[in-house]
Amino acid sequence: MASSSGNDDDLTIPRAAINKMIKETLPNVRVANDARELVVNCCTEFIHLISSEANEICNKSDKKTISPEHVINALESLGFASYITEVKDVLQECKTVALKRRKASSRLENLGIPEEELLRQQQELFAKARQQQAELAQQEWLQMQQAAQQAQMAAASASVTQQASSSQDEDDEDDM
Amino acid sequence: MSQTNSGKQSQASEAKKAISLPISRVRLIMKSSPDVSSINQDALFLTTKATELFVQHLALTSFNNRSQTEANTLDYSDLAKTAEESDTFHFLTDILPKKILAQDYLKSLEQMQDEDSDF
Repeated sequence: MASSSGNDDDLTIPRAAINKMIKETLPNVRVANDARELVVNCCTEFIHLISSEANEICNKSDKKTISPEHVINALESLGFASYITEVKDVLQECKTVALKRRKASSRLENLGIPEEELLRQQQELFAKARQQQAELAQQEWLQMQQAAQQAQMAAASASVTQQASSSQDEDDEDDM
Repeated sequence: MSQTNSGKQSQASEAKKAISLPISRVRLIMKSSPDVSSINQDALFLTTKATELFVQHLALTSFNNRSQTEANTLDYSDLAKTAEESDTFHFLTDILPKKILAQDYLKSLEQMQDEDSDF
């Protein structure tokens, strides 16, 4: 369902997610459609309630970001203290899952190859690259030398012919 | 290979057990509250889980206090009743126009008219 309006207040939790939760909480109970719709809207209202309270608590502290502590205090002051133990447990679980995920992805990158072997392969590649570079540099140097020699020879022969022609000129000048 | 696969699966199921509501949507709703600027990620997790517990709490309480105890159904009126009668859920009356009986409405209308005529 595409949202045509950009109104923030139309934001709600997806109906399907709510339906699923109601089904899990009240199995075998028939729930009227308008009741379901109401629960969806109550969720939004609840989130606003907690956010506003947590935000107020946050403003009173010298922090700019709403912290978990602020949310817990908000739950307490609004009469939802019974939720606190369970939400704290879930937070711990989320952190553990995130940590495991990070460890697992780094494990996957080194699939099967121990670190020493990877290092050894890296050193080999570097050595090879250095050697290739050296050979290339040497070749270039040789080519430069050859080019320089050729240039010298060409310059030498050019100056010989020049001298020959200039001495002729001098003779000509004497005659004039 | 199979080890990493089952590892991934158990991670996914752990995450599923933890939170079922979409966290990103909860963040959007929180940010649409006036003055709310930035929210710590952990605070977001807490709020999302609290909302889940709220849904369960509201559904169960309303069902247990339902007017039609013989039927295995949950009606709009059951929810409205809970909001009216419970301190915890009273904040919901803002979005719940309580459906009143027609005769009560007419009575209050009469009262208002009487008050007007006093002036």
